[in-house]
Amino acid sequence: MTTTTRSFGAYDAHQDASKQAQWRADKWMIVGTLLMGTGVLGIFGLPLFFYGLHLQMQAAKAGLSVRPLIVTLIGYLVIIDSSLNSLGWAMDLFANHSLINRVLTAGWGAVFDGGYFWHYNELKMGPYTIGGAGAPGEKAWEISLILACFCPRLAAAIGLLQMKRWGQQWLIVTCWMGLIVWIGYNPNMTFYADVRYANITFPVLGWWIYDIFYITPFLALPYLHTVNREIFTD
Amino acid sequence: MSKKVVSEQDRRRKKAMIVFQILLYSYLIGLFLFQLHLYSISDW
Repeated sequence: MTTTTRSFGAYDAHQDASKQAQWRADKWMIVGTLLMGTGVLGIFGLPLFFYGLHLQMQAAKAGLSVRPLIVTLIGYLVIIDSSLNSLGWAMDLFANHSLINRVLTAGWGAVFDGGYFWHYNELKMGPYTIGGAGAPGEKAWEISLILACFCPRLAAAIGLLQMKRWGQQWLIVTCWMGLIVWIGYNPNMTFYADVRYANITFPVLGWWIYDIFYITPFLALPYLHTVNREIFTD
Repeated sequence: MSKKVVSEQDRRRKKAMIVFQILLYSYLIGLFLFQLHLYSISDW
């Protein structure tokens, strides 16, 4: 038996053109997001991301079948959120004596959160030196959220951008995990406010202005729960 | 008919999500205000 490939003419050409346009836009957005996910190089990533977004919007305007804008925005926002948290906290856990970490994390701590400044790199567990943030409870949050929340969330966002059903489902799961994150993390911080806000540059207000961005992925929940699931493939 | 039922369900679901978000953000605003209160009585 022989298999034949059927061509649907204009439809195939439209599909190909759409795929190419999406990939062209994605290349810019991926590079921009990777740079923004490092934190340090974020300022260089933003214009690249916006250029990619502009390309996608132009393709949509030209009538090509590209990913819905809201899915693109949610997906890349979640990637940035997960990368910043995973990378930052992984550095605090494992590379806490590196120069970049001592400058950036401890520097950030001096301005916004004393938990990452006072007695930085002095944390011990029994006789074992752990280093990094010494704020009570912080290390447990780092371990649990990198492993159970942010890494699966990063994978979910990639799946969402590929318009996969598992991506949408896992993004919903990890958005709900955010409930545990924010209901738990903030009181822990508040209980030890005397450690975390004492003698830093911008106590309270600074942390909230900086961190409010991380709390926004909740806003995706109403969309993710009510979007037509059929637009995502199995 | 069935489409109408689904969209009604989605409408209610969306409404519940929004109510949930209002509650959650109120909780976070409460924590923020409490931290401001602590700030006002501490010598940070």
